[in-house]
Amino acid sequence: MLNPTQGRKLLAQELMLSDQEIQKRKAFLEFSAEDEKALTGINDLAERYASVVIEDFYKHLMSFEETRVFFKDPKVLQRVKNSQREYFLRLTKGNYDQEYITNRLKIGAVHERIELPIQSYLGMYNFYLRTVAQRLFDAFRSEPDHAFKVFGSLMKLTFLDIGLAIETYIDSRERTIRDQQEAIRELSTPVLQFRPGLLILPIVGLIDSQRAQQLTEQLLHSIRANRTKVIVIDITGVPSVDSRVANHLVQTVEAARLMGATAIVTGVAPEIAQTMVTIGIDLGRVRTVGDLQSGIEQAERLLGYRVVQSDDVPDPNEQA
Amino acid sequence: MRAPILKQGKYLIGSIQGSLSDADLLALRDELTSTVREQRSSGVVIDVTVLDVLDSFAARTLRTISQMIRLLGAETVIVGIQPEVAVSMVQLGLTIEGAATALDLEEGLALLDARTGRGARRHAR
Repeated sequence: MLNPTQGRKLLAQELMLSDQEIQKRKAFLEFSAEDEKALTGINDLAERYASVVIEDFYKHLMSFEETRVFFKDPKVLQRVKNSQREYFLRLTKGNYDQEYITNRLKIGAVHERIELPIQSYLGMYNFYLRTVAQRLFDAFRSEPDHAFKVFGSLMKLTFLDIGLAIETYIDSRERTIRDQQEAIRELSTPVLQFRPGLLILPIVGLIDSQRAQQLTEQLLHSIRANRTKVIVIDITGVPSVDSRVANHLVQTVEAARLMGATAIVTGVAPEIAQTMVTIGIDLGRVRTVGDLQSGIEQAERLLGYRVVQSDDVPDPNEQA
Repeated sequence: MRAPILKQGKYLIGSIQGSLSDADLLALRDELTSTVREQRSSGVVIDVTVLDVLDSFAARTLRTISQMIRLLGAETVIVGIQPEVAVSMVQLGLTIEGAATALDLEEGLALLDARTGRGARRHAR
């Protein structure tokens, strides 16, 4: 498992966009050098209004329960106000390059980490745009065309930012899903020693190529480590078997044979047997037995064990 | 590197010590078959533990050796195929059909015991 700091670093690295990708996104938003110029042109205006806009912004955030909880501590509030101010001013400072993008991704990641709902995040952007639009049109009252143009440029840039932020949200969710899949895989492939020389491999859940490969490797290493002669592979818990899965199964059995172990497959449900016959899967020389019990019995016979029921049955209630 | 052939009672052990060229494999085949004849051996173990790759030629030769030795009236067991080697062989479809396999030398000798006369005596006990 990764600790949070490592995870964050990886996030920033993984999402690092190539210059080409940045160009592509800007092109799609039609963000040109002209827009950059328009934005840097209102830098002094931004400097002048920054404090007011930020105050309005937090007043807005503090009036909603969902967002208020994030700023309970006055110190935290002061800190985020400062970084928000920086962020705000950065919008009109030009140079929307690799460094700018990385910074935006980081900001997105921070919001994701504190579990700020994405709708609040988008709402914040919307509030920003509306407030700034008001100020812009006030400032350029005599030339509304210019104000409109600058606002268009600002909109392009904010949408670039929003895209990046959403990406960090999605990436983090995908990471969680990957981690969980990994956890499921690790959980669901136990290789159990049943007797000296006899392993049981119960397979539960769907088998995909990756899992099949992992299963085979794990099984083969267990064969070597436990000096196994017979393996019982139980597929009762496998919901469906297609030609790929069957192929994996045959390969696993063959590989086990190459290491001198005999594999017995058990638990083929009637529906699965029917599918296999219908689609013409040849299990070839794979030994199949109805259920796990019969499989274990056959394995014991192969190993020369004989299980005898004793007359001397201990009282189950008695303490061992 | 040539693989030495060791005699152990009624059995022969072809002990591969390093990667084998195709010529070495053919030499092993010829030497094993002639030695089985000379020594009247009843079983052969070929130990491939050190090999980290078994290509199609090697797999085919092992199968040929096994079939030839059967015609000479003896049994062959291939031992020591490593997990990674087994996986790649299966993926390439090289399953050396017809040759018996065992985990290691000890298991291979036990398998020969079971398959040749000694095993029969043991079972009769």
